[in-house]
Amino acid sequence: MRITRSQSVFAAVTLFAGSAALAAQDPPPAPATTPPAATPEPAAPDARRDGERERRPRRQPIVLEAGTVHPVSGPAIADGVVVVRGERIVAIGKRGDVEIPANATVHSFPHGHLYPGFVDASTDAFTDQSLRTDGSSDGGALFADDLRLQHDRGDELVQAGVTTAYVTVRSPALVRGQGAIVRPRQHGFELWRGKEHAALQLRMTEGPVPSHPLQRQQQLQAADALFEGLDEFRKARTDHEEALKKYEKDFADYLAFHQKKKDDKKPDGAPAPAGAQPRPATGERQGPPREGRPRGNRGGGGGGGGGGEPPKDPPRAGDGPDAAAGDGASDGPSGSDVERALATLLDALAQDPPQQDPPAQDPPKPAGTPASQPPQNPADEKDDKKDEAPKRPTWPKPPPPDPQREALLQVVDGELPLRVEAHRADELRAAVRLQREREIPVLVLEQAHGAASVADQLAERGIAVVLTDVLPVPFEPPYDAFEPATLPAKLHAAGVSFAIASGRDAYSPLLPLLAAAAVGGGLPREHALRAITLTPAEILGVANETGSLQPGKLADVVVTDRPLFQSDSRILMVLAKGRTEYEAK
Amino acid sequence: MNRCSTFAICWLATLALAPAQDLLVRAKTVVVATDTVLTDGSLLVRQGKIAWVGDDIPADARGRATVVDYGDATIVPGFVLPPTTLGRDRDLAEAALPFTPDLRAAEAFDPWQEELLALPRAGITSLMLAPSPRNVAAGIGALVKPGKDRGSIAVQELPVVLSLAQEARTPERAPTSLMGAVDLLRTAFAAAKAGTGGGPDVAVLRQALEGSRRIVVHADTFIELAAALDLAQEFGFEPLLVGARDAEKVLPRIVAQQAAIALDTLRTDMRLAQLRLPARLAEAGVPFCFGGRAEAVRVSAVLAVRFGLDRKLALQALTRTPAVLLDQADVVGSLRQGTAADFAVWTGDPIDLSSALVATWIDGVRVHGDAPKPAPTPTTVPATASNPAAAGER
Repeated sequence: MRITRSQSVFAAVTLFAGSAALAAQDPPPAPATTPPAATPEPAAPDARRDGERERRPRRQPIVLEAGTVHPVSGPAIADGVVVVRGERIVAIGKRGDVEIPANATVHSFPHGHLYPGFVDASTDAFTDQSLRTDGSSDGGALFADDLRLQHDRGDELVQAGVTTAYVTVRSPALVRGQGAIVRPRQHGFELWRGKEHAALQLRMTEGPVPSHPLQRQQQLQAADALFEGLDEFRKARTDHEEALKKYEKDFADYLAFHQKKKDDKKPDGAPAPAGAQPRPATGERQGPPREGRPRGNRGGGGGGGGGGEPPKDPPRAGDGPDAAAGDGASDGPSGSDVERALATLLDALAQDPPQQDPPAQDPPKPAGTPASQPPQNPADEKDDKKDEAPKRPTWPKPPPPDPQREALLQVVDGELPLRVEAHRADELRAAVRLQREREIPVLVLEQAHGAASVADQLAERGIAVVLTDVLPVPFEPPYDAFEPATLPAKLHAAGVSFAIASGRDAYSPLLPLLAAAAVGGGLPREHALRAITLTPAEILGVANETGSLQPGKLADVVVTDRPLFQSDSRILMVLAKGRTEYEAK
Repeated sequence: MNRCSTFAICWLATLALAPAQDLLVRAKTVVVATDTVLTDGSLLVRQGKIAWVGDDIPADARGRATVVDYGDATIVPGFVLPPTTLGRDRDLAEAALPFTPDLRAAEAFDPWQEELLALPRAGITSLMLAPSPRNVAAGIGALVKPGKDRGSIAVQELPVVLSLAQEARTPERAPTSLMGAVDLLRTAFAAAKAGTGGGPDVAVLRQALEGSRRIVVHADTFIELAAALDLAQEFGFEPLLVGARDAEKVLPRIVAQQAAIALDTLRTDMRLAQLRLPARLAEAGVPFCFGGRAEAVRVSAVLAVRFGLDRKLALQALTRTPAVLLDQADVVGSLRQGTAADFAVWTGDPIDLSSALVATWIDGVRVHGDAPKPAPTPTTVPATASNPAAAGER
């Protein structure tokens, strides 16, 4: 990619300002974020050494023995054992039934309880205030680009046993953006590869507050209107793709034709200069006028090149395909190569004193002529060739970019789940209606406080729910119909798939307490445990990798000293991808 | 005819006044007090009070009583709330006059207040209705209880409530500053100590200083707490500090002066030091209880346990300690013989959020929840051959 001078200056200024700002702050104890594209290892020298040191013990298997092992995918195992090799669990079972590798590091917790690492299906950890309050974002906003450590308690997710989290914010925007799945680490976090843009967030409500019916109606209509025009956009995109393919093919033909012509001419005139010099031989210039003779400053201009960027206007008469055939066409008919060659040619020609063919020979073409003919020499020597010469194709203009529509298309195609925040029963029904009418394959409801009354519909349509306000305080239900404590039990009874999530970084470390509150509301214990492990993993689409203790899955394990739902249970150890992220002293 | 009707009236009156049937309440776990937990225990409730506990229940009373069997549940004393206005700040503060220690909160008590009647749903059976902290010396609180249809005043005269909190200082009347507030109190205390003069307001303070009343002081920030402790030291009383957000900064003095603390609601977004404060207070031996928003008091206890407090002490801080601090340990806060029959029935330890409230009883009357079901409560997963481990808590 060519970086213009102004861009490099801007980058330099930003870097300078950023480093000045960093110098003004206290340096963080460990390097802050791992940017999405960076490697998982933290960048500080110590940590790098740690990472290298860690690699060796990690190849050594780890064995965890505990009084009770809760795999979630099956019944609890008394006196159980989990064997971890590298990043994954290789075996799990009762002690005595499972083979312990000889060189394993054994951690024994005789009265402890082993659980899968918790999966927080919705949190705003690693986001800052500006992201949380940004009302102007749209579907193209990628939260993964904006994540960073907050250097407060809200960062300490893995210490509380949360090994996978979906990050989103509760901003006032209608379409908030695309959330990211992250793996919290001891000093930071890393993005889950392939899940940096995991779902599209849509808000279909003003909030869990009493609202005016007109306002609600406007909100619902606005949400529905987002899906208008998607078909046209998709059609415009596919049309453009097809036109682009056709253009490449046509241009290749065009170049091939002229290359062939040039090759035919070679024995007559001076040999065409191979390689570097794109300037056509003088002989050729003086020769019979050819189609598309280069003209001084015609066409796309010198700077239009680089990776396949088209000339700004549809190519006018006068571009020099035959000279471009010197280099570009021999590479094969790839559009960007061709364009690059063309650009190089035009650069070179721009320095030439323009050959003064009378302008009359080159009838001026108005802009936007769809298929510009190469200028026809009034001389008729080439009439026959004119007939066989393919037309110079026009580069098809792409439709204006619309990242939000792109995202919505992905939603409609089932590649991106749609997560809708809706509280009241009527808003939830509207969401269900939206799914039906717009044929959205994957819909997840968030903060669906009024879901009890629509539970049957949700179960029928396979809509999952992420519940965040399960604790009776401080959430104050604005309506009596909202009963946050008993909602999980009711959804379970109706067969709706739901996860219990924190919603806020302050609650992420308290995920087990939230699940315990759901048990208090009537949810059976096993299902409450599943609601913070396997079910959110399913909702996030990572259930094949984490969410339960099964051989083959990532080694995300939490060890507590007593049953999880007791308020005084303490976390003794946390493994994430087989690496010890936390160990109690 | 006259005699007949008189006899009829007398007979009907006797019926109406006749003692209600004794109740024999039993459950798998009965927490009489923190250090007294009965397994498969029973309580004999007579006329709204605990008549006997466990093995002390005489056989004949046991035989005659109606059995109320809660199966696998856990019975704990009803929670007692420290000084609170229950949201009725306006009527519980004579804001125009800063110094009114003789006013009684009981006189502004609303038995039908919604917030009061909702308290049993959170396991709360009694509270100190206190004048608002908007007055420097606001008045005298009362021990009130919710009921099925209406609340009642249990004890009329409780500690006097003073306030050095921010709300007590307003620009609309004196004192407008902390200095002024402290000076006002100091003058009043000095007058109370000096002799027998002064009006009923000073008399209240005199009684407090003589030890027959506890003194409650609202103070949040460090300077307010320091000022309160200074006054306490100067005039020789042990205050109950309400709020005490910065308590960790004056902890040594609190310990030395044997003050007690009524904590505000614990929230997850508080500083770690504040969340760990209950554990630290327990370690230091400072009596404390949970206050703040009434419906959040249980979650405050849970958070305190999550951040290091022992669970038995957390339950104590919800029940016995506030009763002791309000000088009502003989009446509420435990289920010992002679106390009121105020208890709550949970499916497990109320400190675990996984326990649900089954019923709340106040003065021997069930005010919330259902009559006990014959079957055992469903949260304990029964042990089966394939799932032996699940019999324990998950």
